[in-house]
Amino acid sequence: MTRRAGGGNGRGGRRHWRAGLRRGGIELRQLLRGPRELAGHLTNVLVALLLAVSIDGTVDGTEVPSAHLVVVGFAAYLLFQIGVINLPQILVTEREEGTLLRLRATPGGIPAYLIAKSLLVVAMAVGTLALLLASTALLATGPTPRGAGGWLTLLWVTTLGLLAVVPLGAAIGAVLPNPREALALLMLPAMGLLLTSGAMFPSSVLPDPVQRVAAAFPLKWMAQGLRSALLPDAARAAEPAGSWELPMVALVLTTWAVLGFLLAVPLLRRAARRESGSRLAARRGGAAHSGALPA
Amino acid sequence: MTAGRAPAGHLVVEARGLAMAYGGVDVLHGVDLTVRRGEVFALLGPNGAGKTTTVEILEGFRRRSAGEVTVLGADPERGDDAWRGRVGLVLQSWRDHRRWRVGELLTHFASYHPDPRDPAELLALVGLVEQVGQRVERLSGGQRRRLDVALGIVGRPELLFLDEPTTGFDPRARHAFHRLVERLAREEGVTVLLTTHDLAEAERLADRIALLVGGRVRACGTPSELARRAAARAEVRWRAEDGTFRGERTDDPSRLVWDLHRNARGPIAELEVRRPTLEDTYLRMVHREETAVADEEVPA
Repeated sequence: MTRRAGGGNGRGGRRHWRAGLRRGGIELRQLLRGPRELAGHLTNVLVALLLAVSIDGTVDGTEVPSAHLVVVGFAAYLLFQIGVINLPQILVTEREEGTLLRLRATPGGIPAYLIAKSLLVVAMAVGTLALLLASTALLATGPTPRGAGGWLTLLWVTTLGLLAVVPLGAAIGAVLPNPREALALLMLPAMGLLLTSGAMFPSSVLPDPVQRVAAAFPLKWMAQGLRSALLPDAARAAEPAGSWELPMVALVLTTWAVLGFLLAVPLLRRAARRESGSRLAARRGGAAHSGALPA
Repeated sequence: MTAGRAPAGHLVVEARGLAMAYGGVDVLHGVDLTVRRGEVFALLGPNGAGKTTTVEILEGFRRRSAGEVTVLGADPERGDDAWRGRVGLVLQSWRDHRRWRVGELLTHFASYHPDPRDPAELLALVGLVEQVGQRVERLSGGQRRRLDVALGIVGRPELLFLDEPTTGFDPRARHAFHRLVERLAREEGVTVLLTTHDLAEAERLADRIALLVGGRVRACGTPSELARRAAARAEVRWRAEDGTFRGERTDDPSRLVWDLHRNARGPIAELEVRRPTLEDTYLRMVHREETAVADEEVPA
């Protein structure tokens, strides 16, 4: 927002914050009342619960139940998914429907949109994580944070993890062509990372090159950070490095956060600038021809 | 910024030599337009004439290739938030905020503006009082477009863009929409720039019409001025003595008919004088443009 003379900006700025927060609140309420979306998020928690009760045995060389490793890895994956799959899908859909264009045509609309989306993503992440950990802990003796240090680690890994994947997701959402292709393009790499990042089983069983590729992406480090917060210290014997590598977790996630911001800002700006009525109409025409949209 | 309202009669839109090229193809060839405060201005033309491109440049959504443009005293490419607040938009393709409720959406968008209209009054104005608690996705096409108009004017804009607002409407919805636009212009003093390919709609709503064909303004004026200009050249047809039909276009049909009678020294068989309507002129221009384009597309 550019500064304007006459002191009007302070009032306008506050108005945009209020509009953004209210918008986030309304969108969150719609999410909670939308049966499809809510079912999707609850299914994730249910899957985690099933994993927690059905997986037997302990992680090799430790006393830690394998189920705990999987539940924590799944929690990390869900955070990752909110950033790089759910968020881009929302962005692409709203771009296509004209939401972004309408906000662009509204004074202060784009800042309010970003504020609302941040609120929505944080609420989704915290809600999913809390529901998952609470339900597995109550119903299946799942993992819980280890003391104050564990809570602190949980907090910063979650925050930094979101900062690493949300701007990345925003950048992806700004460039993907349409919501139908978006899901197909995103699911495969996300699944690949889920299997190779040590989220579901210790990645040390995988070939070295695969481990190296997975280590370049945030998911491995989010999962590792969450394990350090939620599993007993002895469990680090199962880590590839034999330790939690928390400084490395912080470093990789921060790097992704910075990279994501550098990518997302110009790409989002470009996406917003490129939106116009005729582009909207052209896409609608294409969608109508492919039969993907209801008439 | 709102303190800088221009006096009545001032130009709200001023475009000179507006040009636009996409990938080497010229879509607009030097469009000149002026829209005065308080008037309803129609940009009339067939599909592909460049109407939407022109409007998007004026809205600040598209960068022009050349030309000078001033909208509400500013270059739309550099329009800031305050400028945005003075411009209202209604596009044909909006399907956003489908899950919001009508009243909730209007109230939300009112909150972006410093001095918004009352959402309840606005719903009455556009005839959506009963739909206040309904989800946007459940509205009919006409209701949705009226909601778009309400959203477009909730911030009390000085200039409202309506891009092909009645495309796909049934006659009743179209009629209701026309009355709404007339009310906005007459009673609320909103300057309206609308695009349409429907001559009847332009004649009914607009104070002035610019005829845009092939990326050029071919004619501009009040509906009656255009009609007069169109009717200036009449067509005279008759059957000649050798039995063939003859036809001639002339500015002075009376003189031609007089000459014909004098030459024939008697009555003329099947004599017909026809003054073209605005519609004839419009269709002829569009046809001429389309054949010209078709000729260009034929490889030499």
